Amino acid sequence: MSGSNKKILLEQVADYVKDGDRVWTGGWTVVRKPMAMVYEVIKKRKKNLHLVGNPGGPETDLLIGAGCVIKTETNYIGHEVFGHPYNFRRKMEDEKHQGELFHDDWTVATGALRIMAGAMNIPFIPTRSLKGSDIINPSLDGFQALRGSDDKVPKKKVVLMEDPFWEGDTVALIPALKPDVCLIHAQEAGDDGTVSITGGAFLDYYAAVASGITIVSAERIVPREALEQTAESNVIPGEVVNAVLEVPNGAHPTALHRFYDNDPWWFKEYLEASKDEQRMEEWLEKWVYSMDHFSDYLEKIGFKRLQKLRANPVYGYNPDIKRRLDKLGGVT
Amino acid sequence: MNVEEQAPDKTGKNKTSYSQLEMMVIASSRLLEDQERVLVGTGLPLVGAGLAKKTHAKDMVVIMEAVAFDSNPQSLPFCVADARAVYKTRWVPTAAEVMGHFLQGGRIDVGYLGGAQVDQYGNLNSTCIGDYYSPTKRFEGSGGASDIAALAKKTIIIMAHEKKRFVETVDYITSTGWKCRSYDGKSLVYRWELGLDGGPFAVVSTMGVMKFDANTHKMYVDYYYADLGVTLGEIINATGFDIDTSRAKPMEPPTLLELELLRTKVDPEGIYMKY
Repeated sequence: MSGSNKKILLEQVADYVKDGDRVWTGGWTVVRKPMAMVYEVIKKRKKNLHLVGNPGGPETDLLIGAGCVIKTETNYIGHEVFGHPYNFRRKMEDEKHQGELFHDDWTVATGALRIMAGAMNIPFIPTRSLKGSDIINPSLDGFQALRGSDDKVPKKKVVLMEDPFWEGDTVALIPALKPDVCLIHAQEAGDDGTVSITGGAFLDYYAAVASGITIVSAERIVPREALEQTAESNVIPGEVVNAVLEVPNGAHPTALHRFYDNDPWWFKEYLEASKDEQRMEEWLEKWVYSMDHFSDYLEKIGFKRLQKLRANPVYGYNPDIKRRLDKLGGVT
Repeated sequence: MNVEEQAPDKTGKNKTSYSQLEMMVIASSRLLEDQERVLVGTGLPLVGAGLAKKTHAKDMVVIMEAVAFDSNPQSLPFCVADARAVYKTRWVPTAAEVMGHFLQGGRIDVGYLGGAQVDQYGNLNSTCIGDYYSPTKRFEGSGGASDIAALAKKTIIIMAHEKKRFVETVDYITSTGWKCRSYDGKSLVYRWELGLDGGPFAVVSTMGVMKFDANTHKMYVDYYYADLGVTLGEIINATGFDIDTSRAKPMEPPTLLELELLRTKVDPEGIYMKY
């Protein structure tokens, strides 16, 4: 995979994502999520996806709301202070949606350890966490019905074991995470696949190494020589990246360090729509299905609004952006 | 800093009005100490930690699970991965280092958490209300809270005081308190029986500060917000289990400085304080 030019088009991304795949979406809740690629996956009506990104943000709620997901295996699904993940909630709470989504609860530490184990190609890893929590209560396992029959799901959630090497403490063995596909958005990527990220790489290095296929969209695709100048911020080597694509604003409406902040107007409209199934469907038609290209989406958002979100290059965020949705004015 | 040891505010007690929400954030921030390594959860803990850094705990090391070690935000982060947490930070680690190495390695002094439900032993629920498989209300999930409650040297919990939130037994133990789930899921056992250190130190609510009895490990009222008109009877009524109020003392009201910093520097937009 060390060939030089790995550039693809956004329209090709869904070819790498098969129905039923375990998908890692990079970033962290409302930060640096691969939104343009997620919109593309939704547009191509992918089915039965098994989301393993830790933690999940709007991309996870969106994929659930668009009917692309049957399993979620993560520590969190939400939009942070903006509001609640209504599509996820509906699947879990409404009787008429019973059985449509299997959800397996985890934690931040174990999400990190599990994807690290996946990157190391070891089958499991011990942790001191989880003990005493209902997360490992054998009678409260959201994937119980799938264990042993679904080969994308670990046969057990956890095994408690006494440390055989040192003091004999009881530790929890937890299975490695092995995504089929990893989608990451970054500030820059080289045409050879080298990825440069600032403002926090989160768990994306581990995910890129652990996944069968890794695709990286970036604000800019540059010749690999350009990234040789920034080796310190190159967090993923091109060897584990299968394809790269240039998508400016590709993390919108989530934030991208040094480039743009969260779009509060997007969250306001989305949260309102996602409370109701019918309005969610209309939202998807308006913002996803009817868009021929991502540039149409950006045009619909509008230049003025995108300008409002631009980050101050020194701070890495936009110090003027309003973040309180109940007092949010229009884009002026 | 103990509240008892706090020097009297020479500018005089604050005569302006303040809210129970403000008192809650201020009371919790007072429990954080200078030099401590504090792992801060999302939501109100971000506000309380920001206030502590600007008042009595300037050298407190604020750590955020996603991205920041020794964070000194100039503007309130609205999640623990925000670029506002990264700016002026000493180190930008990942969750593998913060949670896998520092927390699991026993190097976190205080975990500072919010929650939807708490019980008499300080177990926290941020997962669901009702039956796990068909909940009446499903929440976002643990995030890092479960890990932090299990592995920090102590935890401070901040949440609104309502009967539906302060319950005898939480519907789901996301984050462990003093008496938590046995491995077979069938009973409650003391956390040390599972080899867990740490444990909840205080629950700071909109009515007072609760701590845990050294023998029974059940919650009792340590301070109540008498200056705001909160009575012990009101606390008893807003608590879904028997709570000991015999040790309760009135809470020192906010100083003018605390209120001013909270309102104008820590959360001027009212993102969490909802002014």
